Amino acid sequence: MNALTITDLSIDFPTTKGVVHAVSNLSLAIDKGRRIGFIGESGSGKTTTALAVMQMLASPGFVSGGSIDLGGTDVLALGEEAMRKTRLRRVSYIPQGAMNSLNPIMRVEDQLWDAIVAHEGKTDRTALQDRSDTVLESVGLPARVGRLYPHELSGGMKQRVCIALGVILTPELIIADEPTSALDVVTQRHVMQTLKDVQARIGAGLILIGHDMGLMAQSVDELAVLKDGVLVEHGAVRQIIEDPQHPYTKDLISSVPLVGGESFLDAEVGAPPVNRGKDGVPLLEFEDVRKDYGAVTALQPMSFKLDGEVPKIISIVGQSGSGKSTMGSIMLGFNPPSTGRVLFEGQDVARMGAAASLDFRKNVQAVFQDPYACFNPFYRVDHALKFPFKRFGYATSDAQVQDKMREVCVAVGLDPDLILSRFPHELSGGQRQRLIVARALMLSPKLLIADEPVSMVDASLRATILKNIYDLKDRYGISILYITHDLATAYHVSDYVIVLYQGHIAEAGPPRDVIGDPRHPYTQLLIDSIPWPDLDRSWGSDTTAAEDAEKLDAMARENKTVFRGEIPGFWLHVADREVAA
Amino acid sequence: MGRIPRAYLMNRIVTLLLTIWIAATLIWIIPRLSPVDPADIMLGRMAAGAGAVENADQILEQLKENFGLNDPLVVQYVKYITNVITFDFGLSTASFPTPVASLVAKALPWTIGLMLLSITITFFIGNILGALMVWEKSPKLVKVAIPAAMVFTSIPPILSGLLLMWIFAAKLRWFPLTGSYGLTVEPGWSWSFVQSVIHHGFLPALAIVIVTFGFWALGMRGLMITVQGEDYVTLAKAKGLRPRYILYKYMIRNAILPQITAFALKIGLLVAGQVLVERIFAYNGMGKLLYDAILDQDFPVIQGVSYVIILMTALAVFLVDLLYPFIDPRIQHEGG
Repeated sequence: MNALTITDLSIDFPTTKGVVHAVSNLSLAIDKGRRIGFIGESGSGKTTTALAVMQMLASPGFVSGGSIDLGGTDVLALGEEAMRKTRLRRVSYIPQGAMNSLNPIMRVEDQLWDAIVAHEGKTDRTALQDRSDTVLESVGLPARVGRLYPHELSGGMKQRVCIALGVILTPELIIADEPTSALDVVTQRHVMQTLKDVQARIGAGLILIGHDMGLMAQSVDELAVLKDGVLVEHGAVRQIIEDPQHPYTKDLISSVPLVGGESFLDAEVGAPPVNRGKDGVPLLEFEDVRKDYGAVTALQPMSFKLDGEVPKIISIVGQSGSGKSTMGSIMLGFNPPSTGRVLFEGQDVARMGAAASLDFRKNVQAVFQDPYACFNPFYRVDHALKFPFKRFGYATSDAQVQDKMREVCVAVGLDPDLILSRFPHELSGGQRQRLIVARALMLSPKLLIADEPVSMVDASLRATILKNIYDLKDRYGISILYITHDLATAYHVSDYVIVLYQGHIAEAGPPRDVIGDPRHPYTQLLIDSIPWPDLDRSWGSDTTAAEDAEKLDAMARENKTVFRGEIPGFWLHVADREVAA
Repeated sequence: MGRIPRAYLMNRIVTLLLTIWIAATLIWIIPRLSPVDPADIMLGRMAAGAGAVENADQILEQLKENFGLNDPLVVQYVKYITNVITFDFGLSTASFPTPVASLVAKALPWTIGLMLLSITITFFIGNILGALMVWEKSPKLVKVAIPAAMVFTSIPPILSGLLLMWIFAAKLRWFPLTGSYGLTVEPGWSWSFVQSVIHHGFLPALAIVIVTFGFWALGMRGLMITVQGEDYVTLAKAKGLRPRYILYKYMIRNAILPQITAFALKIGLLVAGQVLVERIFAYNGMGKLLYDAILDQDFPVIQGVSYVIILMTALAVFLVDLLYPFIDPRIQHEGG
């Protein structure tokens, strides 16, 4: 019997500009115990369909046609109270924002108990305790986690709590909405393994919503490809990945950057890059920089020199908590090092005078992760571009400012006529992220620090935005520090890669060696954790998750750095550490 | 639930003492910047009573000597600070020679009674209404009626006070026109006195409630809208929790946190009170005391009242800071 049967489902959102058909005539069925992936870009209707199954469509959306049958029950005919009782007991939802999905003022187990009580009435306290302890253990969390508050848990732990919640009443259907999108690859693999494991154990159907073809390939049995609310392709995952029919599916598959695969960057060789360095003086230099937060060392002492003469892209990769963003904020001068010095063109960033400091800000620009939070919503786009340009004294005339704005918009692939007079909220995430690159470009910086610039945009746009950033290197002679957890993109764009693990440099060298043929066990673990859109490639089993954790502990004890060769113009040194050959 | 970390506690105590010290110093400096000489004013008042004052210069000199105005500034300041610690603000110049402390002591309980009651009622009503404005399950009537009631928020309290007075005291005669208790009852802990106090306090309290609940309601509405969009509220719904439980435990409980801080700040201000409300109802509280002192340029009283206001604010904020780790478990880690 089917866990869920959707027939001819249509969902409309009436707006002032007319009706938006979020989902049109969608039909599919999910068997009990099967896993199906909904894949598509944001706005393709995948989450909307899932929410309709729970009668939780955001206002003013409504089901305008079709039917939803959940194991013999017509969901759309259920009254409010009946629907409430159906949620979690028969169909559960594992949300996307694991970081924020738990009530901050309640302990974890209280949030498991209130769910049980809402469906089964008041129960004996020891019985509740038993059930919450059991379900937490089933997702690989110790029972003491129940006594903690959400802010005391890591992202991966919170996501596991959400999975525990999703299975606590053994539902027939589990809907997981991008459950791992906020997690790094290693944690992602563990969490997905846990989810598959408990789902198989209770025999529920699973809808996995996502946009990552690799993750889908490793996680589901069937795949449903959605585009603009229409189901464009549906079938067994192997059939779709190996022989996609619809051009959109082909696009989705080909836009996944692969380690060692074909580059998504055009290998066009333009004019030789402009030399913008100061002779003999490194552009950026770390002198035994170390950073402590209280008793924790976020960054172990390291030194490097980055030459500005030939622009380069240096990637810094690692999991969350590896110290990579700390490194970025130290370079930007936002975060003074605990010991050591950061030099920009020979000047100590921490001791700059007003003029030097202004010059530093002009020459070192940043692109951050969240394109939504980077713009002041009160100003139009042109203001965001114009303001720093004028502030740093580049503007000579209005016409010149206009020309420059148009030039940078074109450079990042945006149409200036459409973009400049808009407000930030009228733009998509991808457009905003390109604008941030454009804004940095306005000042013709010598150094760009890009901290996870594409982790919040759709997969199909990532390649384009990275290409925009990559082009800056040759076209404008900008050196780039690319901070990311995504090894595949680091492989393609960078000239040199530094792998960070708990503030240590685990491995460093040219990408073809470090990522293409990793020697350090941590780099190997990172590479192994990447979900490949290839069904014959193993993603590891649940036992390896435990082994991984042990491996990581062993590595923390050993902590050796593997150097894999050098490139001209970049010099890296790790102080007081045993260096493996 | 939380416990208060020592570093956090020390931090707050130091902040409290520092605030009080800075405030006391400002209160001392500001009147010294005024061109008005209180001794002159006293003399003027005497002249107005007696027609002419003989030996005016001598008396002026004597007054300055008595008030310590001839001492060097440093001596004045040190004397002032030591006095402030013991709540000694000297003598009122307008009701000479009543000590400021006893004037304040007489007025303070009335204001605290009236204002604490009205601001607490306002806080609860305002926040509940604000929450209901956002809650999707609220009856339609509520969603229409509350914004309409907000009109009152734009009325100055003096108008609402006069309006209430006219309707309920002058026309309907349900409540007395002015005063804080009946002339026929003896102040003390007797039922008839308490009854009289409540009877007299009702209209001024109502005047304050109807014009200030909108502040809380609008603030709460904004906070609730933010909380409504939080992932944990979506997940609470997906968990199949009962709507009222979600409203209380997931939404209001989180949205109220900033409001509690705002409440502490208001507690301090309540001492200064609704000066005009106290004035029109001839209510013998701190507001009226301050109002009269400003009219009379009675500097010691102004200083005393200001000091009490700041002390109350600082103490209220301090108490909320101590309370916070218990209502928001995240605080422990940020403090210290």
